[in-house]
Amino acid sequence: MRVLRCLLVGVLLLNGACSIQPFKPESPVAATGGAAQGRAAGSAPELESVKEPVPGMLPGDDLQILAPAPMPLPRERPAAPPATLKPASQALVNQAQAQRRKGDLPGANVSLERALRIEPNNPLLWIEMGRLRMDQGNLPQAESMGRKALAMSVGDDRTQAEAWRLIGESLKARGKNPQAEEAFERARELAPL
Amino acid sequence: MARSKRSRATRRRWQRGFAILLLLLLIAGTVIVAVLGHRITSQFEGRRWTLPARVYAQPLDLYVGQSLSAERFTEELRRLGYLASEAADRPGTYRRKGGRVDVQVREFRFSDELQPAQSLRLDFKGGRMSSLRDAQGSDVPVARLDPLLIGSIFPTHGEDRIVVSPSEVPPLLPEALKAVEDRKFDQHFGVDPLAIMRALFANIRAGQVEQGGSTLTQQLVKSYFLDSRRTLRRKAEEAVMAIILEARFDKADIMNAYINEIYLGQDGRRAVHGFGLASQFYFGKPLNELDLHEVSLLVAIVRGPSYYDPRRHPERALERRNLVLRLLAEQRVVSDEQAEAAAGRPLGVTGSVRRGGSFFPAFLDLVRRQLRRDYREEDLTEAGLTVFTTLDPLLQEKAEAALAAELKRQDGSKREEAHGLEGVVVVTSPQTGEVIAMIGGRLASMDGFNRALDARRPIGSLAKPVVYLTALESGAFTPASIVQDEPVQLKLPGGQLWEPNNFDRRANGPVTIVEALTRSLNLATVNLGLEVGLDRVAQTFEDLGLEEAPPEYPSMLLGAVDLSPIDVAQIYNTLANGGFRSPLRAVRAVVDEDGQPLRAPELEVTQAASAEAVYALDRMLIEVMERGTGRTARRQLPDSLVVAGKTGTSNDYRDSWFAGFSGTHLIVVWVGHDDNSPTALTGTTGALPVWTKLMASIDTSAFEPLMPEDMEDRWVDYYTGRETSPICAGSALSLPFMIGARLEASESCLPGDAVEDETDQLLQPSPPDAVERRRRYKQP
Repeated sequence: MRVLRCLLVGVLLLNGACSIQPFKPESPVAATGGAAQGRAAGSAPELESVKEPVPGMLPGDDLQILAPAPMPLPRERPAAPPATLKPASQALVNQAQAQRRKGDLPGANVSLERALRIEPNNPLLWIEMGRLRMDQGNLPQAESMGRKALAMSVGDDRTQAEAWRLIGESLKARGKNPQAEEAFERARELAPL
Repeated sequence: MARSKRSRATRRRWQRGFAILLLLLLIAGTVIVAVLGHRITSQFEGRRWTLPARVYAQPLDLYVGQSLSAERFTEELRRLGYLASEAADRPGTYRRKGGRVDVQVREFRFSDELQPAQSLRLDFKGGRMSSLRDAQGSDVPVARLDPLLIGSIFPTHGEDRIVVSPSEVPPLLPEALKAVEDRKFDQHFGVDPLAIMRALFANIRAGQVEQGGSTLTQQLVKSYFLDSRRTLRRKAEEAVMAIILEARFDKADIMNAYINEIYLGQDGRRAVHGFGLASQFYFGKPLNELDLHEVSLLVAIVRGPSYYDPRRHPERALERRNLVLRLLAEQRVVSDEQAEAAAGRPLGVTGSVRRGGSFFPAFLDLVRRQLRRDYREEDLTEAGLTVFTTLDPLLQEKAEAALAAELKRQDGSKREEAHGLEGVVVVTSPQTGEVIAMIGGRLASMDGFNRALDARRPIGSLAKPVVYLTALESGAFTPASIVQDEPVQLKLPGGQLWEPNNFDRRANGPVTIVEALTRSLNLATVNLGLEVGLDRVAQTFEDLGLEEAPPEYPSMLLGAVDLSPIDVAQIYNTLANGGFRSPLRAVRAVVDEDGQPLRAPELEVTQAASAEAVYALDRMLIEVMERGTGRTARRQLPDSLVVAGKTGTSNDYRDSWFAGFSGTHLIVVWVGHDDNSPTALTGTTGALPVWTKLMASIDTSAFEPLMPEDMEDRWVDYYTGRETSPICAGSALSLPFMIGARLEASESCLPGDAVEDETDQLLQPSPPDAVERRRRYKQP
């Protein structure tokens, strides 16, 4: 699948396919409130350097390879920086996690809903809410929220991996093991732990 | 001897008779006491537990970076009854100096915790909160204000109250009540015969009714029974019951019951009982925050809530309040100086528009209906529940203002049909399905017919996105696919002929999907819908959240479907949420009187429509705003605020609809006449201006969904649907397609072509129809 995509990309690039931006390129949209698609408002997020193993290598292998490693696959669109939480949402997520540990699930629900009011489009919050639903025994909703997080984090591999893991756990808990395995596999592909 | 014997017998007979009479009286007396005693006791104990549910709006969360000005923040505080004060040292007070506000936030029992009172310092700069700190100066990441009380769910007999426990009652209140109404309260046994005498004399001397002879206990008993007949028998019964009450319960209980029971005012259908609610009703703040002059006013009102209504008869109310203050000073409850100072204060009641505990009947109606699914009526009206809702009071007020302003503007228009319109506004948060504002009619605070929930009207062109979504989901169509905007004739089951028409009565021939939707072309939509299948379109309605699929008539494609505004909001919410259906909720949490959480509708999301199809549809709905029937809105919105939406007009202009959304708000507007008469307005000229006015006035974010992974943008010609390049012609636009979708290349302008003649807007030879279409299209 990845190879096919790479080919298509190459073809399109060759065709000089123009602007990839979906919307009017004039003014960059000011990210107000909780709009930005999972990106932290205000500060420019830094692209963390993720330690990805070179394909074909095992941990421990010497880095001096004789054959050239394949180029990292270009994406059709720029990879999105990993989503982060605003300090307010982070504080509420911390609170929710503490409440979950204490067994106060309704309380955790309130805290996460407050965070969602601040940042309704942040996939990390949906993943948190999905985890809470797991605790509450609402497994189908846990999966749904994982899928919602996926839709909101296109291009953000790390967040997508977390979302896939949540989906996998929900499927596994319902005994849907083959699908669960698929989900975990996708998580591994995106961001090896 | 015989005579004395006879008299003795007589006497004995008399004695016996007398004894029997006495015995009978005693028995009768006991029975009466038992009956009355039972009645009053069950009333007293029963009433103690009749607590209507209290309903709160969404509390305002505060955090650094929030779009909020000092001005707006203090407005919020005032709405909550906070007092501006130099000292700002008590809960319920604040102080503002330019861009800095110090506030003492009240303690409040939320559904997740008892939040203690806290001291906050906020700094504002450039319309945002720049810093949020506590009393020690440490940064606070997020803080929550106490929520606005927006109403109660009270029983059908109309009584409403906020029950206050003894700890929430300022000590001044019972003292004042005793001083004014019942001086011997602590000593008497239920009735005070001396007081009756004294009152008689005092009133005769003063020439007016200054004092009542009834004790507080008697007044309490009287208020338990709706019957207000002042017969002697009733008075006697009340006296007996008062005595029994005193015998069975202690003074503190009786005083507390009195404080929570006594009738203190009328708010439309709602009877205000108890000092807790009266404090909110007259002053907009909790009982324990009242000052001397305010408490005195409430005590003054006891004697006659309508006669001494401070809003309708302020002079009388003031006079009696100051009389109360005099009495308090006389009896050493307060000092002379305190009484004098208080007498100099104005009444202090809030204006009649927002009587503390703001009134949002349409929204409250929705809350009630949603709660009825999980709770019985008695639970709601008696069990002392606290209900936390999703309402945003500021947004609600803005929506009311926008609707009122626009309808008033229409009143002044030349077209008579546009006078006296009614309207509905529903605002939701698409991602969570929370209903954050709801207006049921032009007079927003009137508790009448709730059009938002109950007015079912044909939705007209609002149905079209559902048709196009079905087409996209089928996989057989893309935004560039061609459909025929050609006349169509259908024979309906009844035998009649159905021959729909375009708005301008013209047929445009082959058009792209995007053009057909953007311009809301009827013929193209019908042809498309018939090809895709009525059953599939009906199914899509259900998928999007409509409870019952509409009947599968062809006219369904053009919106001959009667829906209420909230139904429309549910459908469009799913479209605004990437195809995830979230049931619309007005209730967030419910707790019982001990603060324990109970059942409440939970946040839920379900992928109901294909993400890719919804994304493509939404991009086209953006085009509706950019170049289609919604484009007049763009003038009044900031350039960077990308929005999507659809206009809707029903037959003969009877209904004017607009449903549109930003990144964080969905707003649905309906405008029309209750008697269904034509309005001479379209969706664009009727509902859209309301929508635009509101959208322009709120703090919202651009609609910028992420494109699904398996899609990509390609440039196509708006009219022909062929793939082209952005530099060619003004009619090229970028639309999303599944990766690898096959598109016909434009004949003359290929992707990658460089323009040779820059003065010529149109590079490709236009098919003859295209010129004609473009000419027609450019007309407003």
